[in-house]
Amino acid sequence: MDINIEHILLFKTNIRSEGDKRYIGKIMEEHRIEEWTVDLHDIDCVLRIVSPTLKLEEVINLVMNSGYHCEVLT
Amino acid sequence: MRARDINKVELVKQKAIELLVDLGFEGFTMNKLAKACKISVATLYIYYQDKDDLILKIGIEEVERISAIMLENFDPESSFEDGLRQQWKNRAKCLFENPLSAQMIEQLRTSTYQSKVLGIFGKNFKGPLGKFMQNSIERGEIEAVPFETYWSVAFAPLYNLIRFHNEGQSLGGKPFVLTDEILWKTFDLVLKALKK
Repeated sequence: MDINIEHILLFKTNIRSEGDKRYIGKIMEEHRIEEWTVDLHDIDCVLRIVSPTLKLEEVINLVMNSGYHCEVLT
Repeated sequence: MRARDINKVELVKQKAIELLVDLGFEGFTMNKLAKACKISVATLYIYYQDKDDLILKIGIEEVERISAIMLENFDPESSFEDGLRQQWKNRAKCLFENPLSAQMIEQLRTSTYQSKVLGIFGKNFKGPLGKFMQNSIERGEIEAVPFETYWSVAFAPLYNLIRFHNEGQSLGGKPFVLTDEILWKTFDLVLKALKK
C-alpha cells in the first residue's frame, strides 16, 4: 500500500474513552471526514486523519471547539 | 512521495517484536516503540493507524515469513515418516533461529488477534499439509483421526519442547536445554503413536 505522507494528519489529543471517540465520530461524520482513527491505547491519544484536502488548523479548531485538546503531533 | 526507508521499516519490525515479547500487548505502546527505534511517534503513525493496526500488520508479516520457512523442502507426496521428519526439522530450526518471533506468535495465538493470525497459518498450511495427511491416510500409513487429534500428537510435543527450551526451564522451574537427542527421541515416540 502506497501512502501519500502529505495526506496524513496527526494530532495529540485527550480523546481517551470509547465515549469520547463516539462523540468525535459524530463530529467527523458531520464534517464528512471519513478516514480517521484514534489510538485510545496510547498516552497521546493520537488522532490520525487521511485527507488530501483538510488542513491542520481546520482539524485543530474542529476538535477544540468540540471540547477536546488538540495539537499537532511531532 | 518519499520512498520508504527499508532499514527503518525493518528496525521498527524487529524492535516491535522485542518489545511485544518483553512488555506484553498491554504494556506495549507506540511511544515506547518510537523511543526504542529513535524515531518520532509521528513517523510510526504515518505507517500504522494505531497500536492494533501495527501489531496485526507486523504479526501477520512474521507469520507469513515463518510459514514459508516451515514449508521449505517439504514434499506432500513423501512418505509419512519422511514428511513428518522434514516438518519437525524445519519447525525446530525455524523456532530456534527466531525465538522472539516464536514467543510473539504464541502470544498472538492467545490474544484478541487470534483469529486473524491463525487464519494465515491455516491458509498457508492447509494445502500442503492437508494433502500430506490425506496421502498418508490413503496409503494406509496412518489412521484417519480428527485433525485436532492428529495435530496434538504430531506437533504439540515439538512445540512444548521448544517452549521449554526458549524459557530455559520445563515444569516446576526445572532447567532445560533441548538437545538433538531429546528432540529425535520424542519424534520417534510420536511416529510410533501415529503409524499404523
